[in-house]
Amino acid sequence: MRTAIVSALGIIFLAALIHITAVLSLPYLAPKNAWARVSALSEANKMVVLPAASPSHQSLPLMASDVRYGVCRFNLDNGPVRLSTQILDDLWSIAFYTPRGENFYAINGRELKRSQIEIIISTRNEVGVKAGASLLDEIEDLVVVDSPVREGIAVIRAPLLGPSYAVQTEAALKRGACTRNLPGSDFNR
Amino acid sequence: MRLLLNLLFIFIAALALGLGSAWYMIEEGSALTTSHVGPWSVWRSAGKPDADPYTKAHMARAGRLPITATSALYFFANSDEKGNTLSANCEYVVEGRPLNAAWWSLAIYDGTGRLIPNKAGRHAFNRTDVARRADGSFRIVLAQSARPGNWLPTAKQGSLKLVLRAYDLRDADSVLDKAAAERGLPTIRKIVCR
Repeated sequence: MRTAIVSALGIIFLAALIHITAVLSLPYLAPKNAWARVSALSEANKMVVLPAASPSHQSLPLMASDVRYGVCRFNLDNGPVRLSTQILDDLWSIAFYTPRGENFYAINGRELKRSQIEIIISTRNEVGVKAGASLLDEIEDLVVVDSPVREGIAVIRAPLLGPSYAVQTEAALKRGACTRNLPGSDFNR
Repeated sequence: MRLLLNLLFIFIAALALGLGSAWYMIEEGSALTTSHVGPWSVWRSAGKPDADPYTKAHMARAGRLPITATSALYFFANSDEKGNTLSANCEYVVEGRPLNAAWWSLAIYDGTGRLIPNKAGRHAFNRTDVARRADGSFRIVLAQSARPGNWLPTAKQGSLKLVLRAYDLRDADSVLDKAAAERGLPTIRKIVCR
């Protein structure tokens, strides 16, 4: 009887330990997490327009067929990265992720209120701004995003207002760029 | 010897229990992480940097990059409103009122998450291209062969999955409030099965 109770307690204790370990380690172990998928798609600091989701191909799981995606896997080891894109509609959005898929910042066309946007992605305090993102008033159309991580993913989402918008939406995304910001060139546009 | 066997049993049982419960709570969700509204389920903290470990593990496994749940929500349905698994052998009507979101899209996938091949090239209806009634409500038919109105083609066989994504959702919290959500989210009703 005593053995049974000790065994049961042992099982529960050990199971809880295994449970917690499994849950906490999975984000680091999942072989096909979003970071791994995006890394396979593109080199760092380059804008990639994902091919439209189709029955034969989806770059990321459960992609929307009526959204077009531009993806930039940024690496800030050598300084800030500049992301520039057109914003054709209020519904467009730009979301920033850590390699673990945490969306640390997102902004949409309605909030941006402009059709062409330049975003500087930098590590915390590199360009002297506090956590989060801030719009620098003196430089129009420039948003600085403070990244909590040195590597991450920026995703531009462009919902299609109808099937006939696909071509122009993809073309606009392809005109976007994601480049390593050259030293000294940050604010002298 | 007996002690060794006992320990082995404890270890195996703990492994099964620990991994089994972790797998279930990561894959299917639990009251801690997911809300169920009619046939729809939603991970309440998807994409949030301060999300709980279960949500983070689920997203890592799923390989998706959801927009933070503060501004977008993703609702998943694998069953109709009676709780029966969505099947390609049946036809369904999805009816509802537009969500209070800047944009929403209702997409259909097969049970494995793949888009379903069809001649119409139609995989989703969204806020901008769904045909609506005068009062703003909409009705989408899921069927294998063409239907008048909003028709989402389904697979030849197997199960189906619906994903309702809502971008720039106004008052996301109230959508998660059960009563409000039940009024707000579309219903999924089976019409006929083959």
